[in-house]
Amino acid sequence: MNRRLNIVGGLFGAAFGFVLAAAQLHEYDTIHRMLRFDEPDVFFLMGSAIATSLPLLWLLERRKARTLYGGQLALSRSKPERHHLVGGALFGMGWAVAGTCPAPALVMLSSGAALAVVAIVGLFIGLHLRDRHAIRMVVGDGEHREIGPVLESATP
Amino acid sequence: MDLLPDRLAWYVAGPLLGLLVVGLFLVANQPLGASGAYVQTMKAARRDTDTVGWRVWYFGGIFVGGALATALGTGIDARSGYDAMTSLWPTPVVALIVLGGAVTMGYGARMAGGCTSGHGICGTAQRSPASWVTTATFMATAVAVTAVLRLVTGGDL
Repeated sequence: MNRRLNIVGGLFGAAFGFVLAAAQLHEYDTIHRMLRFDEPDVFFLMGSAIATSLPLLWLLERRKARTLYGGQLALSRSKPERHHLVGGALFGMGWAVAGTCPAPALVMLSSGAALAVVAIVGLFIGLHLRDRHAIRMVVGDGEHREIGPVLESATP
Repeated sequence: MDLLPDRLAWYVAGPLLGLLVVGLFLVANQPLGASGAYVQTMKAARRDTDTVGWRVWYFGGIFVGGALATALGTGIDARSGYDAMTSLWPTPVVALIVLGGAVTMGYGARMAGGCTSGHGICGTAQRSPASWVTTATFMATAVAVTAVLRLVTGGDL
């Protein structure tokens, strides 16, 4: 079970990295041009990703779809709190300065750009610092939901 | 090799990312996000017992998939990167700027519980109000900070 899930994780990661690289999202210039409003492509890209997945997930949720390894589809929704605003603002600042975000930084490195190492190390440092300072964990929204019980209860 | 176009159009790449989000839910009932993969990779390096193993594989997969697409497209090219910045300042200065940005970004992602993929695409697609607020916040902040950078550098950045 764990082994199968690992392979699934690796494959989805590879597909994700492949699309990011093919769309040049790992290039500082691409992100910078978007944030300067020189070119709308990345906004459209994010918008069309949401426009594709949101209705499909909605429909699957309504139909109580069963997932392959995780039991009944469980989407997670949470109320906005202060840490979303502060964390989001810090993230946006860093994103604008470094011109990359967590997944594209990995792709930047695998495309041959050496300075991506600095971005990746910096991300690890930042995540680690927050872990040390955090009063409580953020569970339930975004992607850090794996701390929750979903997977443990979902073994077929 | 030149099997891929120099840049995959947004109307292909966007829906593909959307389908990946749905796909990972249908297979593993899990959100697709990158900063969580960093966290788990860090835990794996610390040999924590509660590491979520597949997210470490996911982390490695992003790297491999990126290398593959680059090799099939423009070709892997060893370089420093950040050309727009290295043409303005010496590389060590650029490295410090990137480091500062990345630390801030990592801290913020952990605080908010996700990044551009986790909140920006996957959380918004789950119709999570917190994700919409986080995404709007980091988008607006990033645009504002970019405008400030442009002013400070006299339009060079």
